[in-house]
Amino acid sequence: MDLTDRFTTAAERAGARVVRCPRRSALLDYLAAEAAGSILLPNFAVGSRLNLAAGLRQRNCPVITEDFRRLAPRADSGVTGANFALADTGTVVLDSTDEPLRLASTLPLRHFVILDPRKILADSMAAVGVLGQLQKHPDPGFTAFITGPSRTADIERVLTIGVHGPAQLHILLLQGVSEDLLES
Amino acid sequence: MNRQRDRNYRARIEAALAATRQQDALHRFGDAYLEARRQAFTGMDFEALRQNVSRLKDEVDSHREDYLEQFSRLARAAGARVFRAVDGAAANAYIVDLARRHGVRLAVKSKSMTSEETGLNAALRQAGVEALETDLGEWIVQLAGQRPSHMVMPAIHMFRDEVAALFGEVTGEAEPVDIQHLVGVARRQLRNRFLEAGMGISGASLAVAETGTLALVTNEGNARLVASLPPLHVVLVGIDKLVPTLEDALCVLQVLPRSATAQVMTSYVSWIRGPVPREGQARELHIVLLDNGRSTLAADADCKDALRCLKCGACANVCPVYQTIGGQVFGDVYVGAIGLVLTAFFSGLEPAGELIGACIGCRACAAICPAAIDLEEIILRLRRRIGDREGLGLAKSLVFRQVLRNRRLFHALLRGASLLQKPVFGGRDSIRHLPLHFSSLTEWRTLPVIVEKPLRDLLPAVENQPVSGHRQVALFAGCATDFVHPRIGLSLVKLLNRADMAVSFPLQQTCCGIPALYGGDRETATELARQNVRALLADNPQAVITVCPTCSTALRRHFVELLQDDAEYAEAARRLAGITRDAAVFVAEQGPDPAAHVQRGTLTYHDSCHLKRRCGVWQEPRQLLSEAGWQVQEMERADRCCGFGGSYSFAGYPEISREITKDKVNAILRSGAAVVATDCPGCLIMLRGALEKRGLGLRAAHTLELLGEALPDSSR
Repeated sequence: MDLTDRFTTAAERAGARVVRCPRRSALLDYLAAEAAGSILLPNFAVGSRLNLAAGLRQRNCPVITEDFRRLAPRADSGVTGANFALADTGTVVLDSTDEPLRLASTLPLRHFVILDPRKILADSMAAVGVLGQLQKHPDPGFTAFITGPSRTADIERVLTIGVHGPAQLHILLLQGVSEDLLES
Repeated sequence: MNRQRDRNYRARIEAALAATRQQDALHRFGDAYLEARRQAFTGMDFEALRQNVSRLKDEVDSHREDYLEQFSRLARAAGARVFRAVDGAAANAYIVDLARRHGVRLAVKSKSMTSEETGLNAALRQAGVEALETDLGEWIVQLAGQRPSHMVMPAIHMFRDEVAALFGEVTGEAEPVDIQHLVGVARRQLRNRFLEAGMGISGASLAVAETGTLALVTNEGNARLVASLPPLHVVLVGIDKLVPTLEDALCVLQVLPRSATAQVMTSYVSWIRGPVPREGQARELHIVLLDNGRSTLAADADCKDALRCLKCGACANVCPVYQTIGGQVFGDVYVGAIGLVLTAFFSGLEPAGELIGACIGCRACAAICPAAIDLEEIILRLRRRIGDREGLGLAKSLVFRQVLRNRRLFHALLRGASLLQKPVFGGRDSIRHLPLHFSSLTEWRTLPVIVEKPLRDLLPAVENQPVSGHRQVALFAGCATDFVHPRIGLSLVKLLNRADMAVSFPLQQTCCGIPALYGGDRETATELARQNVRALLADNPQAVITVCPTCSTALRRHFVELLQDDAEYAEAARRLAGITRDAAVFVAEQGPDPAAHVQRGTLTYHDSCHLKRRCGVWQEPRQLLSEAGWQVQEMERADRCCGFGGSYSFAGYPEISREITKDKVNAILRSGAAVVATDCPGCLIMLRGALEKRGLGLRAAHTLELLGEALPDSSR
C-alpha cells in the first residue's frame, strides 16, 4: 500500500472523510456542496495559490476572509491547508500559529483540510525534523496534530462526535499544489 | 494503622460494593479496553516501546535541574513566563494573583489532573474567580460536586440519566436522556464561556526541554479553545512531564493514546510554544512548573520510577480492585495503582495507608504500564514502610515474629489446627461453616482443611525413588502444598521419578516469608530467608523445584534482595536463586510422557498472577496439560486475579476478594469446561472454595495433580 492509501485508511478509521480531488474545480465543487453556512477562509499559501476565495464566491458561498475574531464563532465551516500528514495514524499537521488558522480549525462544525499527497510522511518519527523546524524558530508557535473529528466518550464510554471542535473533518487530497512541509 | 480511619475506609468500600451498576460499567470497560488496546498496539513491539519511554524518562530524572533550566530558558525566549512552584499552595497563589491582576472573573479549564492535585478551583473560587471545567467528564463531575474517579475518564462512575438531571439544572429544562443530545447541550452551554473567559487554564502531557514546547494531548478540542481564545493561558504542569527532545515526545505519543484510550492517536495534539498571537490584544502564556512532592519522590530510590508515569490510567483500567470498588474509593486525586503511590508522596504516607493496603498485588498494573513502572513492587515497598512506621499491630506481630520465625512452633500449631478443625469440617476436605464472627469468611467459599499428614510426613514414605545421586533435586513445597494440598507434591515426585530423578524434601524448610514481607515485616522475612537458604542448599541439589509461584518469587528474587548485605548468606541466596525452577517449566523440559496420551476431556486454565507476571510462565502448563490429553478451552481473561492475594482474602479485604472471585468463577463457568487447572496452591484454595460453596460440581486442580493422575499407574 502506498503512503496515500495508508493515510486514507488510517484517517477514515479515525472518522475523517478523505476525498481525492482530481483538480481545483472538483475541490471547489466539493467545498460548495459540503460546506453549509458561512466559510472561514484564512490566508494560507495553498489557499492563495488556488485562489479559493474567488472560486467559492463564484459558487455563491459566503466566504469570510477577515475580522475572524468577531465572525468565527458563528461560522459553520473552516478551510485550511496542512503542512504535512502522517500515514500511520491518519493525522494532518497544521501550523496554526496565525490566529485565523486556529479559529478556522477549532470553532466551526466542519473543517476542510487541503493536502497535497506528496506531503504525507510515513509516521511521526519521520516528522521529527520538520516538527523541530516548526518549533525551534524564535517566535511563538502552535502546531496542531489533527486526527479525525472532535470526540468524547465521557458519558458511559459511548463514542460521540463533535463535542467542542469540528464534528466533521474533510481531508481533500489535491496533487501538485505544494511540496513544502513548512507551508500550509 | 489508624483504627478510626480503617473503619471509615471499610464503610466506603461497603458503599462502593453496593453500587453494582458502577461495578458492571467498570468491568465492561475493562474488558473492552483490553481488546481495543490490543488492536491499537498490533504490529508494535510494546516491550521495546515502553523500555524506550522508561529510558528517556530516567534520563530526565538524572539531569532534572538541567532540563528544567533548558525548558524554562527556551519557553521564556518564546515569550512565556515561567514560574517554579514548590507546592500546590504556591502554584495556586501565583495563578490567583495573576487572575486578580488581570481582573479575571471567569477562567475556563481543560482537564488537568495537576490542578485537581493542587485544589486550584477552590482557590480561585475563594478569590471570586469562577473556574469552569470544560472537558465533558470534568464538567459533569464539577456539576455533581464530586472529584474525578478516573484520570482519563473523570465521570466513568456516572450514568446518562444522572448527567441529564445535572444538565437540566443548568438549562432549566428537562433534558432527554440521550447521549448525543447531552453532548450537544455541553457544546452549546460551554461555547460562549470560552469566548467570555479572561483566562484559560490547562495542563500538559509533555514539556519538551530542547524547544520549550508544551504538548496538550486531547480528544474533545476544548484544550485548543482554552489555549487559544482567552487573553491569558496558564499551563499548570508537573515537573515529571519533562522530556529531553521532540523525538522523545513523539516516542511517548506512540504509547500514550494507545494506552490511555486505545486510540492510535488522539484527535488533537497541540504543540504550543510561547504565547500565540490574538487579534487586537496582547496575549500571555504562563507556565507553572509544579514540584509538590515530585522532588521528594525523585530522591526516593525505592519509588522514584513512579515519576515516569504518563497519566494514561491504564493501571486502573486493568485493576480488579478498581473495577470492584471504583476510583472514588480506590484512589485519591490520582486513582488506581499509580494513584496509591502518588497519594503517598503528594498527600503523605498517612492518608495513603488504607489505599496501599487495598492493593491485592496481582501485578496487572505492572504488566500494562507503558512507562515500565513496577507499580506492585513500589506499593509493596510503601507497605513495608508503613509497617516500619506504624507497627504491624499486635496480631500480625505475634504471628510473624513469635510464630513464623520459629519453624517448630509454626508447624506444631498447624498440626494442632488439623485436630481442632475436626468438628467443623465433618470428614470432608474443606470447612463449610465457621462459628461466630468468623462465619463471614465461609459465607461465599469453603475454607481448606489442614491435612492430618502434611507432605513432609508423607514424602519419605514414597517408594521406588531412583537411586539418590543419579539426578537429585529438592522440592520446596510451601505451606499450602505441605499442609493443605500435599497431593501436589506427591504428583511432582511421581512425575520426576519417571524422568529418572530423585526428589528430596529438606525437612528444615519453612514458610517462604512472603506473608511477612507483604504484610510489612521485613525482619521476619529476612530470618525466614536465612532458614530456607540453609535448609535447601544443605544437600547441594542440582535444582530446587517450586510448586507455588509466590514461593518461587521469594526464592528467586526476595531472598537475594533481603540477604544482599548478609556476609554469610548473600552468595548462597544467589546460588539458590540460580537453581530454583518453576515446576511446570522443569517438568516440560523433561519432555512429554508417552504413556500419558489419552483423551481426558476439556479443561480451562487459570493463570496465577505471580506465575504469569512474576515468573513469566504461562505456555508450559497449557502445553503439558494438552500433551497429557486435556483439551484446553481458554476462559475470558484467564490471567485476571482470582481474588486470593494471600492474607488479603482473609484478614485484609475479604469483601473485595469475594467480588473478584465471583468474576473468576463466572469466567470459568462460561468456558464450559468441567475442570479448571492452575499452578498456584493459593489460587487453588480460592477456586476450590468458591466452586464448592456454589455446589457447581466443577473441579479445581493444580496442573501437577492432573499430570500425576495421567500417569499410567495412577489413581486419584
